[in-house]
Amino acid sequence: MTRRRDRITEALWAYAFIAPLALGLGVFYLWPVLQTAYFSFTEWGAFGGHEWSGTDNYVRLAHDPEVGRALVNTISYTVLGLVSIPLAVVFAALLNRRMRGVGVYRTLFFLPVVTMPVAVAMVWRWLYNGDYGLINYVLSLAGIDGPNWIADPTTALFALVVIGVWSSLGYNLIIFLAGMQAIPAEYYEAAALDGAGPVRQFLRITVPLLSPTAFFVSVVSVIGSLQLFDLVFVIAGSGASARANPAYPRLQTVVALFYDRAFVTNDRGYAAAVVMVLLLIIAALTLTQFRLQRRWVHYA
Amino acid sequence: MRRPSPSRVLLHTVLVAASLAMVAPFLWQIVTSLKSLSEATTVPPTLLPEGRWENYGRVFDLLPFGTQFRNTVIVALARTAGQVLLCSLAAYAFARLRFPGRGVLFGVLLSVLMVPPQLFIIPQYQIMSSLGWLNSLQALIVPGLFSAFGVFLLRQFFLGLPLELEEAARLDGAGPVRIYWSIMLPLARPGLLALAVLVLIWSWNDLFWPLVVNSDPDTMPLSAGLASLQGQFQTDYPVLMAGSLLASLPVIAVFVFLQRQFIQGIAQTGIKG
Amino acid sequence: MRTFMRMGTALLAASLALTGCSGGDDGNGGDGKDGPVTLTYAVWDQNQKAAMQELATDFTRTHPEITIDVQLTPWEGYWTKLKAAATGGAAPDVFWMNGPNFQLYAANKVIAPNPEPADMSVYPKPLVDLYTYEGKNFGLPKDMDTVGVWYNKKLFDAKKVPYPKDGWTWADFQATAARLTDAKAGVYGTAASLSSFQEYQYDTIAQAGGFVITPDGKRSGYDDPKTIAGLKFWTDLIAGKQSPDLKTMTDTVPLQLFEAGKIAMYWGGSWNAAEFTGNGYTKGKVDVAPLPRGEKQATVIHGVANVVGAKTEHPQQAWEFVKYLGSKPAAEILGKKGPIPAYAGTQSDWVKAHPDMNLQVFLDAVDYAVPYPVSKNTAAWNEAELTHLTKAWSGQQPVEQAATELAATMNDLLAKE
Repeated sequence: MTRRRDRITEALWAYAFIAPLALGLGVFYLWPVLQTAYFSFTEWGAFGGHEWSGTDNYVRLAHDPEVGRALVNTISYTVLGLVSIPLAVVFAALLNRRMRGVGVYRTLFFLPVVTMPVAVAMVWRWLYNGDYGLINYVLSLAGIDGPNWIADPTTALFALVVIGVWSSLGYNLIIFLAGMQAIPAEYYEAAALDGAGPVRQFLRITVPLLSPTAFFVSVVSVIGSLQLFDLVFVIAGSGASARANPAYPRLQTVVALFYDRAFVTNDRGYAAAVVMVLLLIIAALTLTQFRLQRRWVHYA
Repeated sequence: MRRPSPSRVLLHTVLVAASLAMVAPFLWQIVTSLKSLSEATTVPPTLLPEGRWENYGRVFDLLPFGTQFRNTVIVALARTAGQVLLCSLAAYAFARLRFPGRGVLFGVLLSVLMVPPQLFIIPQYQIMSSLGWLNSLQALIVPGLFSAFGVFLLRQFFLGLPLELEEAARLDGAGPVRIYWSIMLPLARPGLLALAVLVLIWSWNDLFWPLVVNSDPDTMPLSAGLASLQGQFQTDYPVLMAGSLLASLPVIAVFVFLQRQFIQGIAQTGIKG
Repeated sequence: MRTFMRMGTALLAASLALTGCSGGDDGNGGDGKDGPVTLTYAVWDQNQKAAMQELATDFTRTHPEITIDVQLTPWEGYWTKLKAAATGGAAPDVFWMNGPNFQLYAANKVIAPNPEPADMSVYPKPLVDLYTYEGKNFGLPKDMDTVGVWYNKKLFDAKKVPYPKDGWTWADFQATAARLTDAKAGVYGTAASLSSFQEYQYDTIAQAGGFVITPDGKRSGYDDPKTIAGLKFWTDLIAGKQSPDLKTMTDTVPLQLFEAGKIAMYWGGSWNAAEFTGNGYTKGKVDVAPLPRGEKQATVIHGVANVVGAKTEHPQQAWEFVKYLGSKPAAEILGKKGPIPAYAGTQSDWVKAHPDMNLQVFLDAVDYAVPYPVSKNTAAWNEAELTHLTKAWSGQQPVEQAATELAATMNDLLAKE
């Protein structure tokens, strides 16, 4: 009897803890999503006003070559971009120690996060520039004639992935450093007594105990990559002019397509359908990750 | 002076090389901020600037810098404090308390994370408009108080914490609020700090939303104020870079201070690298 | 699960309550002339903000009961914001409008037709037509821009090529471009840009006697042989290496190449005047000539208009302000600082502001100017133009094929309007 009461009390407390957040998320985020889901079945005017159109938008979407292309690009980007996670773990481990200058290194690694996007764009565009870029200059010293990295369909996506990894490293580093702090120091002490060196400690203690954090970063990174949008504008230019880049068919992402339909060509019902399809894909991939986490994530 | 070991030399070589790659755009921002406009856009780019320090003065002529700086600080602090509190409460419930619908609710929460943020612009604008909140600081703060990302992040931290302390407290008769406040929060401090830093950065750099929802320069944060310096045909990039550099200094300072916190656990136990 | 449902309903109810109680505006209501009124005036160009502020202040001097709140939103966010505001029926009282967006806003009744006839003869006719929808005028033109060939005198002198003259032809232009091209020095005669049709494709299409869209806005002209000739003008220049290829122009935009002395002739707008006098490299080195003549002489003219929001609570005051902005005194203030004012006879200050360049070219061009092509959903086919023509510009497809496919896509889009 008391156990049952305890359980009810516990549940009530849980709802109370969640309620303030749930209310805000519901009003500002969930409600717009539900609206969008509804509008994806309508012809939605540029300034509101809508007409039920059934599954028209979804049928059209299935025959739109740009949708397929955007999906392939987005998924390729996501897969390639996963390299940023092990990279961040390694650098976090290197920076998670008492060492002269570690604070300086951490701050330098953090700087991309606060650098203005316009500056980021200017630098990368210069690095990648076919005629005046630093990369091709270095290659020319070795007698190699480098491509126009961001205007060439064969290299553009890779160029984009490099910027993506570069710009997310700082964020992931912060999260991993925090995760490493939560690992009790006794484990390392015990391992050190057993004669385990730093590499062994990293593999035997840091990696498994960091797995809840790594799981988080992996889920969030995959979601973030599938929502890729801003970076495309950083290197391809914004709005219509991005389409003047001959490599744009390799750079167009699903969210960029959503943006074009919703905010540029006034095709909002269709845009809503595009975003719903993306949501389903993201949900499926996230669910898969949650299913798979039992195999590699160690909770306390 | 001891002779550095080869592995240490290697470590520093790797870190220096990586830091250079990370810091290059920031240095470029400094260089550009000291150029004239024509120097900044010419090809091939010049590496050493003319040294136009007056670009920094121009920022203060063009923007109500003090007001916008104050707005940035207020918005960033409010959002950070709000998210850390609201998200940690919910995250604790999801990680440790048992209640019907936990899985489903968490799924719904995650679904918010899956939606591209561009989708929220127009609906949220309309909510702000009907609340009469256009051109106000609360329009910048309130939607940013709620975050699925923060709940998920902290839930992972809570899940990784050992159960023993909590169980001991429970046996002593501590309720959920006491456990949350005096056991879980202190233990999850690194996670809370990480979230705080991330929210602070996002809030500091957030640009599009403030531009859409506020028109009055006096209710804009610096990020949006700087963005409005971009003209249709012509943008004074050096002044923009100078302003952005000034705006980012406080965040860098906060990080320099906070990153020490990330090393305390190890410092206390004295493991040597 | 049940709990979740309950919670969901509660949230929905809460949000409905929030969105439902559309905040009572504290405006004065009606169009009563009594009492002080504040009008919002939305603009997008930082470089003109000071001039707009000056106009606002000047207006309040003669209309002490009306204050103007100038709201600057940079170009990138301007239309998104306007759309969000208009969707909720809360567009600004007065705001800047451009050609490509005009019919969309007029057709959806976001902007109001003029309540009384105004003297439109003082503005260039193509601009008046641009802002006419279903026979009604909306707002008044504010400024105008035409296109010319900016050229680098230093590069001409180095190759001993005479400067372009009034009345020159496509053949002259092509020959000049060829003579100025110097592959070894990395200098091109010109740049066949793809990203801004106003200064490139639309002009040569008109010069070739082609058209982009029929006047009734129902059919695309891109499959017309003359239109294709206007496009081929550019792709030939790329093929002949008198222009950088598309990849190069993607990496470094033509304007940047011109300002670095890598391009001898740059097709640009009157708005570039300020930039070229301010730039350390181009200052004193560049001048401007009229566009070369194809089958006929032509330039595209475009300009911004000031329009009144259809749902403004102060339509009368808003119209007063628009009338002032379209007046001669306002044009004279504008001409001292910003773009070319649209009001006839007020442009001399603009020309005098840069005496070292032959800016009269842009004013003379008004006589043979053609309207900027638009329809009700211009943005949709503007996107198609780029998608298809990129293939011709990069050499993936012959220009005829790309243009014909573009025409088909565009006709589909126009049918949906």
